Amino acid sequence: MGVVVKKVDLTWLDRTYLWPIAKGMFITLKHFLKQTLTPTQKRLTVQYPDMKRPVLDGYRGLHELKRNEDNSVKCVACFMCAEACPARCITIEAEEFGDLNMLQGLAEKRPASFQIDMLRCIFCGMCQEACPKDAIWLRKNYELSCQSRAEMQLDKFNLMNTYTEKDGSERVVPEPVLKTSNNQPG
Amino acid sequence: MSDSFTFLGMDLIPTVWMLVKILAVFAGVMSLAAVLTWAERKGAALIQDRIGPNRAKIIGNIRLFGIFHLMGDGLKLIFKEDLVPRHVTQSLFWIAPLLAFVPAMMGFAIIPFGQSFEWSGYTLHMSVIDPGNGMGMLYPMAIASLAVYGILTASWASNNKWSMLSGMRGTANMISYEISFSLAVIAVFLQVGAYDPHEIIAAQSGIWNVVRQPLGFLLFFICAFAETNRLPFDFAEGESEIVAGFLTEFSGMKLGLLWLSEYVHMVTVSALMVTLYFGGWQVPFVADPGPLLSFIAFAAKLLFFCWLFIWVRWTLPRFRYDQLMSIGWKVLLPVGFANLLFYAWLIHQGIA
Repeated sequence: MGVVVKKVDLTWLDRTYLWPIAKGMFITLKHFLKQTLTPTQKRLTVQYPDMKRPVLDGYRGLHELKRNEDNSVKCVACFMCAEACPARCITIEAEEFGDLNMLQGLAEKRPASFQIDMLRCIFCGMCQEACPKDAIWLRKNYELSCQSRAEMQLDKFNLMNTYTEKDGSERVVPEPVLKTSNNQPG
Repeated sequence: MSDSFTFLGMDLIPTVWMLVKILAVFAGVMSLAAVLTWAERKGAALIQDRIGPNRAKIIGNIRLFGIFHLMGDGLKLIFKEDLVPRHVTQSLFWIAPLLAFVPAMMGFAIIPFGQSFEWSGYTLHMSVIDPGNGMGMLYPMAIASLAVYGILTASWASNNKWSMLSGMRGTANMISYEISFSLAVIAVFLQVGAYDPHEIIAAQSGIWNVVRQPLGFLLFFICAFAETNRLPFDFAEGESEIVAGFLTEFSGMKLGLLWLSEYVHMVTVSALMVTLYFGGWQVPFVADPGPLLSFIAFAAKLLFFCWLFIWVRWTLPRFRYDQLMSIGWKVLLPVGFANLLFYAWLIHQGIA
């Protein structure tokens, strides 16, 4: 079935082309002036490396293995996250440890190694939901590029320190405000 | 005349001044054309509510609204592999960028970019070709028509259907609008009674020609877009229809020259517009502005018209080919004749 296209009857003013063109020129001039006079911070474009958008609550970014008060890892190597993971990217090896010795029979479990293959991870957050100890969190770091595939295999040490600065303080990533470098061009 | 400026009995001052003028005009037009490529990108971005080029920086963090992108563009074009496809006509393929670029540069030679001035007994003119040369404004009109050959040669040498189509369209476009273009200029010649740019500018010391001949200016203005192959008449380059037209097979600095020639054309046609209709270097309400002020006035007007070209480009879509032809032959040509006859009649009656 064909569509009947209604032919627009141009007025004599439109037929000169000049008046519509003048209107169009006025519109583009308005946009030009508006965009020129708007400071960079207020423009729609967020110039990414210099400026960052605030990350929303509930964003699922890079994982962190949480610690106890005494800085030991919270994870008890129960394998729930590895089971829940639809991408099968978590590999855990468990080990026993305890303040008491083996003869006394009181041992606890912890991961000897905890590996996440970030190339497989789909950031679904299932591991976080499955974890009975609240030991694995998906937080807000989304800048995860690397130079090689090997770097994307994060182990226990990496995962415990994904949100830690070198001096041990908490790394806040990314800034939830629009920040610009001081020499930001228009 | 002093004796200190002679060499083997020849007077050196005119020669030196000529060299200075040639260098200044060449360097000025070239760099203005280069800056216009940046202005085009930035202007387009701002009109479309984007940011545009701003990442290139030199000496630490100096960015200056991305103006260094044009240096980056130039470097890239020069160092890029200059690919010559096997199926092209080699000789023409190499000549074509020059054929496009040289006429574009030549046109500016006649334009006075400032008021002539006296200096130690010499009258120094601020145009490469001195007044009273007998060709006047006919020269840039003739040179402007040569630009057709650049496009035609480039498209023919490319040996490619889309390029050929583009060459045909571009040629038809430029030839059709050439006539109305000239008719508009002839009306100015009639009005002034001379076709030397210096005399045309001198005649506009009171009222600019655009006030006397608004219709003629409009005609000239529309045809200027067709002559420079700019939107809404960029039929040689219709990206959506014929790839990049005559530019398709070119790469490296050949492409750069073809691109640059478009911007040089823009500068030349803007200069023509300023000279013919906007009083050239005349400053409103200043009878005798002197070389510096007159040059600034000329440059300001020139830049405005260059910006107008960019502004129009990012406002209008391309015309359809049949629309182009009907506007050119059925509207602009009769209007051009009517305009010419009207002013001829006015002059005959002694009114204008």
